[in-house]
Amino acid sequence: MNPWLLLLLPLHVLASKGHLKGVSPELAARYVPTKKGSAETWQCLDGSKSIDWTAVNDDYCDCPDGSDEPGTGACPNSSFYCVNEGHIGSLIPSSRVGDGLCEPECCDGSDEAPGVCPNVCKEVGEAYRERVKAEEKLRKTGSKIRSTYVAFAQKEKKRLEDEIAQTEQEIATREKEVARLRDLVERTESLSAAALEERKQSPLYQSLMTHVTALKSLQREHMEHLEREKALGDILDNLRTGYNPNYQDMAVLEAVRGWEQLAGLPHINDVGKDGENENEEELGSDDVTTEEEEEAVEEGMWTAMQLEHQLDDLLNTDYEALLVEHDKHVGAPASPTSILFNLSAYLPDALIPQYEAIRDQVVAVLEMLGLAKGVSDRAADTSKQQKALNDAEHSLRLTKKEKEDAEKELARLFDPEWYGAQGEWKKLHGTCIDKEVGDYIYEVCLFDEARQKPVKGGSTFSLGRFASWNNAPGVEKGSPAYYSKQYYKNGAKCWNGPHRSVTLDMSCGLENAVLSVGEPEKCEYAFKVTSPALCLPLNVSGVKREEL
Amino acid sequence: MRALSSLLVVAAIPAVLAVKTNDFKTCSQAGFCRRGRALSARVAENPSWRSPYSVDASSVALSPDQAAFTAGVKSSIYPDVKFSLDVRIHDDGVVRVRMDEVDGLRQRYNEAASWALLEEPKVSQKIQWSVGKDGVRAAYGPKNDVQVDVSFEPLKVTLRRDGKEQVVLNSRGLLHMEHFRTKESVAKSKEGMEVPEEGLDTDENAQVVLGSLPRTAWFEGDSEDGWWEETFNSFTDPKPRGPESLSIDIDFPNHGHVYGIPQHATRLDLPLTTGEGAHYTDPYRLYNADVFEYLADSTMSLYGSIPVMYAHSADSTIGIFNAIGSETWIDIGRPSPKSTTSHWISETGILDIFILPGPTPADIFGQYTRLTGTPALPAHWALGYHQCRWNYISSDDVRAVQKRFDEEDIPVDVFWLDIEYAEDHKYFIWDKRHFPDPVDMIKDVEAIERKMVVIVDPHLKRTDDYPVYKQAKDLGLLVKKGDGQTDYEGWCWSGSSAWVDFFHPGSWDWWKSLFKVTPQGEQWSWVESTVNTGIWNDMNEPSIFNGPEISMPRESIHHGGWEHRDLHNINGMLFHNLTSQAAAARTDPPKRPFVLTRSFYAGSQRFGAMWTGDNLGTWDHMAVGVKMVLANNIAGFSFAGSDVGGFFGNPEPEMLVRWYGVGVFSPFFRAHAHIDTKRREPFLLDEPYKSIVRDMLRLRYSMLPVWYTAFREASVTGLPVVRPHFVVFPHDENGFSLDDQFFIGSSGLLVKPVTQKGVAEETVYLPAEDQVYYDYFNHNVYRSTSKGKEITVPAELHQIPLLIRGGSIVSTRERPRRSSPLMKKDPFTLRVALSNDGSARGELYLDDGETYSHRDGKFVWREFIAEKPAKKSKGVRISSRDLAAQKPTEAVDQVALATYDSSNDFAKNVADVRVEKVVVLGLVTKPSSVTTGGKELQWTFTQGVAASAKQEGTASELVIKDPKLSITSDWEILVQA
Repeated sequence: MNPWLLLLLPLHVLASKGHLKGVSPELAARYVPTKKGSAETWQCLDGSKSIDWTAVNDDYCDCPDGSDEPGTGACPNSSFYCVNEGHIGSLIPSSRVGDGLCEPECCDGSDEAPGVCPNVCKEVGEAYRERVKAEEKLRKTGSKIRSTYVAFAQKEKKRLEDEIAQTEQEIATREKEVARLRDLVERTESLSAAALEERKQSPLYQSLMTHVTALKSLQREHMEHLEREKALGDILDNLRTGYNPNYQDMAVLEAVRGWEQLAGLPHINDVGKDGENENEEELGSDDVTTEEEEEAVEEGMWTAMQLEHQLDDLLNTDYEALLVEHDKHVGAPASPTSILFNLSAYLPDALIPQYEAIRDQVVAVLEMLGLAKGVSDRAADTSKQQKALNDAEHSLRLTKKEKEDAEKELARLFDPEWYGAQGEWKKLHGTCIDKEVGDYIYEVCLFDEARQKPVKGGSTFSLGRFASWNNAPGVEKGSPAYYSKQYYKNGAKCWNGPHRSVTLDMSCGLENAVLSVGEPEKCEYAFKVTSPALCLPLNVSGVKREEL
Repeated sequence: MRALSSLLVVAAIPAVLAVKTNDFKTCSQAGFCRRGRALSARVAENPSWRSPYSVDASSVALSPDQAAFTAGVKSSIYPDVKFSLDVRIHDDGVVRVRMDEVDGLRQRYNEAASWALLEEPKVSQKIQWSVGKDGVRAAYGPKNDVQVDVSFEPLKVTLRRDGKEQVVLNSRGLLHMEHFRTKESVAKSKEGMEVPEEGLDTDENAQVVLGSLPRTAWFEGDSEDGWWEETFNSFTDPKPRGPESLSIDIDFPNHGHVYGIPQHATRLDLPLTTGEGAHYTDPYRLYNADVFEYLADSTMSLYGSIPVMYAHSADSTIGIFNAIGSETWIDIGRPSPKSTTSHWISETGILDIFILPGPTPADIFGQYTRLTGTPALPAHWALGYHQCRWNYISSDDVRAVQKRFDEEDIPVDVFWLDIEYAEDHKYFIWDKRHFPDPVDMIKDVEAIERKMVVIVDPHLKRTDDYPVYKQAKDLGLLVKKGDGQTDYEGWCWSGSSAWVDFFHPGSWDWWKSLFKVTPQGEQWSWVESTVNTGIWNDMNEPSIFNGPEISMPRESIHHGGWEHRDLHNINGMLFHNLTSQAAAARTDPPKRPFVLTRSFYAGSQRFGAMWTGDNLGTWDHMAVGVKMVLANNIAGFSFAGSDVGGFFGNPEPEMLVRWYGVGVFSPFFRAHAHIDTKRREPFLLDEPYKSIVRDMLRLRYSMLPVWYTAFREASVTGLPVVRPHFVVFPHDENGFSLDDQFFIGSSGLLVKPVTQKGVAEETVYLPAEDQVYYDYFNHNVYRSTSKGKEITVPAELHQIPLLIRGGSIVSTRERPRRSSPLMKKDPFTLRVALSNDGSARGELYLDDGETYSHRDGKFVWREFIAEKPAKKSKGVRISSRDLAAQKPTEAVDQVALATYDSSNDFAKNVADVRVEKVVVLGLVTKPSSVTTGGKELQWTFTQGVAASAKQEGTASELVIKDPKLSITSDWEILVQA
């Protein structure tokens, strides 16, 4: 035999427990030979083949399932069991056996030829136990905080139930009040309606109404234009800050430059990254002042600010009340019959005698009833009553909404899809935590919205609103894995990309905090977050072993 | 708002789908190309045309001791302008033809060859020129079968083999070297000189006119078309040096196929651009450019240029290498099925053409790579799988990606970082917000014996707090504007940027010093990297976002006063060259560098790998990527690949899996993705796709010995690593246009990656030979014939059509590992695929995979041979022999070793690496015994079809278990019937 043949024998096989090397304790019983006379054979674990017992762990793959080589790297996709005395045993893939590297999972070095890897299980085991202890401590402390969350949820339950009860009463009261007011208004209206209708026939009123309609239409158009302009501005701002020079698209560059000129912004690429937002702010506000000054020059005209804020008030004028007011002011006979008398001026002569007869009767009746004189006051009364009714109805709606909200919150309180079976997350609803990374602050308000705010000012982007817990296939609702992720979706749209979204990767920690923020794909953010709400009490968790 | 946004989306779609072709010139938008094509058209209409260029017979001066001569050349059109001709024949029969303007206003650019050539070629001292009345002649070759003729009147160069014209320069008279002139002198000479148009119709008149009249208007066009200034889009090229273009027709009268002139997204067998049967309307363009979302079928120029062309027929192969650095357009026509014309139109430069006489493809590759160098032998790990993305966003991201690969037990060797690692795109400078611990990160990757590759682009952010820019500026190393004084400023990733002029010798040592990983005193160096870190050179065309055609203005000035237009196509290679040198110089002794380049030129193969740039995630791009890699391979640049998955777009799982099938059979194998795409690392795939890709990657890793052995051969002989049919079977006409299936080195493996959607089977063409081919996976037998044969093979998603040619022995390593260096002690499996006559042969090359110690003899080069032990035997004897000892001079690149010591350090180091399994396919009968050294081995035999039989079906299979034979020793296994 050539001397090198000795070298070829897998030394580590000889040096260890031979056939049982790499076999996990659960399978050890199956690694025994079958004796037939002097021959010893062995059945592959899948039963597909019978091989010589000597072929087990001989560094050659005989079995299709790889089971004959638990202790070598000869078979792909098989596993090697490291005993790791002093620590805990572990299985590693066969691809790591005999590759010359010392695996952290195999602290006894049994996966490599003797001498390659030292046995470090004592140290590793100690460090591991330390770590387990530290983690347990963290869990323990964290779970105390968590229990306060659970207690909070209980209080919330009480509070909400009280609130519901209270709002129910309130609703009943308010409903009565609304009914009373409605009745009043309806009666008043029925009396005054006819008179008012008459007055509304006035050309002035008609013309006023036409103006109002026109103004409303203009306002609507104006708002649409403003919205469009803002949308376009946003698109162009996104384009300007987010366009990708890799497209090397001169048309995009032209568009950016054109927008910058129009909006008076410096070219994005000329702006030093640090000063960028400041400059923009300054320039932006300068622009506004200039515009306002220019507009102010034209006397009597409304500024954009006035248009925005006062036009609504103007259009909300109670024109009917105004109509009545008008009569008082224009110097026409302030008599109760003014319209009725004046009407004759518009009637064909032939009809006048008949009309006057009827009119006189009517006026007489009106005067007798004491109504005619007070027409205008009565109209004002009607609108006041209407307002009272409106207010009452509004309050009723609010109270109903309050109740609905309270009911919804109550329903969510112990819903696994919301605040967890113990309501431990309720406490954190609306809790905002953030992390500054580079030029931005990334913030998430739990169960609400995630945002990206530039550190140095500028517009804040929504990164998405709370959508769900980890609903990936195979994840059981309410399981620890379920609460290890939260999704925030449908944030502001990215230039040439998707709507922004965030995945929170959550784990037990003593504080509610964002540890890190990444953008693994464009506009898809990943926050690493800790929260005591995830610190399950030690005795509750059956998954402790596997987790660690 | 909603309507508006959907409108925007609609408008955005066409822009996303394809290149903006109007960002790049067509021939009609380039003055000199327009002039060149117009000349060609006029000549085609006037058969009587004779070239105005002639050799002054009296001026011929032969070199006394070499196969070289010089002579004066005159143009009858410009009798006062002087040209010189220099023709020489090299030791290996390559003919170099040079022509230059003499005593002109200035020197034409004459340095292209100096950058492309490995060294100044040796001129033959055996071959002799003889001067005759009409020309100068030489004959050489074993039977003087090669004859070179340089005719005087008109100037014409012809190479014949056995009397048959192989290539003719200026046979159609399209040679024209526009001499330097000034605007003023042209205006002056035009005064009072009307150009007669008559006299072109008859041959006789043509001669008269040639002798007496300057027919400039006919020859050069009657307007000064694009002579003094040209505007394209919004860019005006001031052209301060006026017209100086060069036109030459190079015809192949007896060859019906031409290949080469990469880089174009087109078929390997180049489609025509002129005349009958033209597939394209524009000539092939060579002008290195960053073409955003390029077309998958076009003559448009791309990122690199290799001006080498091969013409091929069943009789012979002939090649030309046109050493020109300026923009060049090439028209290809085919007047008859068996002849091909080409017309080369270049913007500037001297005529410097190398004729590669062949006559076989293998000869051509030898001739071409003796000139420009063979592909560098890559570091072994560089042949593994490269995982890239724009961008892995942090050091923790890199660690997490590595962790996922290991959890899924998917092999990978290299993780890449694109531009976002760099603070403000100041290359070398880590963005510490996301990469706070770069060296620790790299070391975490290197702990699994993997490597990192980090991008370094050539544009330098113009800010003085960037030491690289500051130093380059202070040292005066930046490219200058047209005024030759001011630093050129352009726009790229880093915003306002400058470019180092690597033509400036002062830049060389400076650039190398930047890559040192240890402090260099005052000098800044990249201490936050490791000696194993690979480098990625992108954007080196150069790509300049606000420049003409997304590149540098042509009037920019480089070292020596040359205009950028003179050397544009060489620019990218210099950056790659210097970066490669810099990476090698980080250690002493040096390690083999890994540098990937996007832009390239003839000679770039000496410096690392290339990829086909920013492809699209479409089936068309997947398919054309295979052809482009083949085209690069035959042009000397073997270490090539295309981005797996497509750079742009989100490939569906089927496409991604097929693309991995392409990648595992590419010399360079990298997956890459644009920043806007979804993540698509193999571990993210659902089943069954994930397992299919894992198996494909493991297949690649098992075949690394095959790839490495092929690279050794390429690095020594210049033979490509992946070989199209015409290379392996040069006489089989059926294979001349095949470019979707190919052979890997000399291994006998024939592969056809699937590049179509929804395919369950593929047809594969078996070359014209009476031979058996085996399916690599199921050992099904196919038989070709002397006329060739088309077969149908299974090609479901998990299958790649892969055949072993009968007569091959393939060495593999079949144990999956996390990375390739972890396989270095793994045993080998030998697949012996018997030929019809019961024999087989294969090679295996091994060395340390990372240093140059192989050039000191530290390597193993084995030959495995299977043959019949006796003439009529049905058995076989398989033996392992030492090839290195047999052919030490041919073993490694760059040096010819006189002897080989089989007990060198490396060989000793791997002496315990064994052959664990031998599989013999195609035995006639079940063996009676299988022995080595007289000792019976364990084996199993499965009945099946014999190699020598007539039928098809599954081959018989003998599996020899663990013969315990060392990979470094001589041994024999005897299989007796």
